[in-house]
Amino acid sequence: MAKRVLIIDDDEQLLEACRDYLSEGGYEVDCARELEEAQSLMSYLPYSVIVTDLRLSKLAFGGLEIIKHVKEQALPTRVIVLTAYCWPELKSEASTSGADAFLRKPTRLKELGAAVDMLIGANA
Amino acid sequence: MTKSLLDAILEPGALSVRFQPIFHLQNGERRVDSVEALIRGPRGTNFARADILFDYVRRKKAEVAMDQSCLTAVCDTVLRLPADVRVNVNVHASTLGQGSTFLEFFHRCMRKRALKLDRFTIEIVEHAPSYDAVQLGKSLSQLRDWGVRLALDDVGLGQSNYRMMLDCDPEYFKLDAYFVRDITKDPKRRAVVESLVALAARLESAVVAEAVASEEDLSRVTELGVDLVQANILCPAMPLEELQRLGHVKALPVAGTQLNPASETRDDRQFEGRTMTFSMAVGQSFYT
Repeated sequence: MAKRVLIIDDDEQLLEACRDYLSEGGYEVDCARELEEAQSLMSYLPYSVIVTDLRLSKLAFGGLEIIKHVKEQALPTRVIVLTAYCWPELKSEASTSGADAFLRKPTRLKELGAAVDMLIGANA
Repeated sequence: MTKSLLDAILEPGALSVRFQPIFHLQNGERRVDSVEALIRGPRGTNFARADILFDYVRRKKAEVAMDQSCLTAVCDTVLRLPADVRVNVNVHASTLGQGSTFLEFFHRCMRKRALKLDRFTIEIVEHAPSYDAVQLGKSLSQLRDWGVRLALDDVGLGQSNYRMMLDCDPEYFKLDAYFVRDITKDPKRRAVVESLVALAARLESAVVAEAVASEEDLSRVTELGVDLVQANILCPAMPLEELQRLGHVKALPVAGTQLNPASETRDDRQFEGRTMTFSMAVGQSFYT
């Protein structure tokens, strides 16, 4: 069965590009534009990897809520933070919260794909 | 300004309706007792799945607006059903517990389409841990006065507990799939269902077994005294046209009473904002 990836961002173009790229790589990809939409999907579908922006639903650090949800529910899900914010303190907070990787926007799709491959490989 | 996801879900025409018959089983015969209207979100989105759709709506705390949009979609479709077909509609207890807004909307929806209120059963669902029991009681009392029947959905799980049974005093207990599934193999599940059937009888309620998954389980629930069954093995939820094609309900020529959903919803939103007292609406009989 194809591994399932969830991408969370309010940028439609980014979602579409990531979806196309990762789908071609053999992943089943869902996209969410809001924190609540992502949480609803996570309640019903098992994700191997979640790629999330930090700013979600007008919350500056809504992405941290996603990481918190994964950890609280003890989900076997790896989280990649994909954000334009690159302050060291933020990276450190995301990492402390449980993020498995941190990518800075703009990022190359190839780089994102490699991070997903690596984390799914680590999960297998 | 871009449209929010929630707005996109609630806008007229975004939701679609499926119907699943509830069968009355007696002496080896099956007849359709009523149909449950089930909502699906916009196609091609994450919300095409009902569980994700309603989870999202609850996270956005938009149950009232959602229940209104669902009712509009259901009523528009029910116009194409014969008038003798009873229809079940799901409504959150929290929506009914928030004052008269939903009831005014409900009454208006029916009146606009000349639909009889007493052919509807409201299935009460709730996921939130608390609701206003006093206001809920008033709303249910009003619905009863209109001839609307009440069902408690998902009995035995979540908020559909003993308190809800007493607060709602429903005509129907809808047993959750969790208790019915594999009842043949699991004596403990059978014990739970037996006790609920006995309790329902004491409370003068009928029991509907949902999601019966096999002929063996179907035999078992009927042996226990359950004669109302809603199950994919009998008929899954499907669009009205399909239900008519299979002969579960009769086809009806399209009447000229179909409303423009867009204009109607705008009206209803204005209506919500008015301060009209509810007694003005409920004191009148539209169905003499």
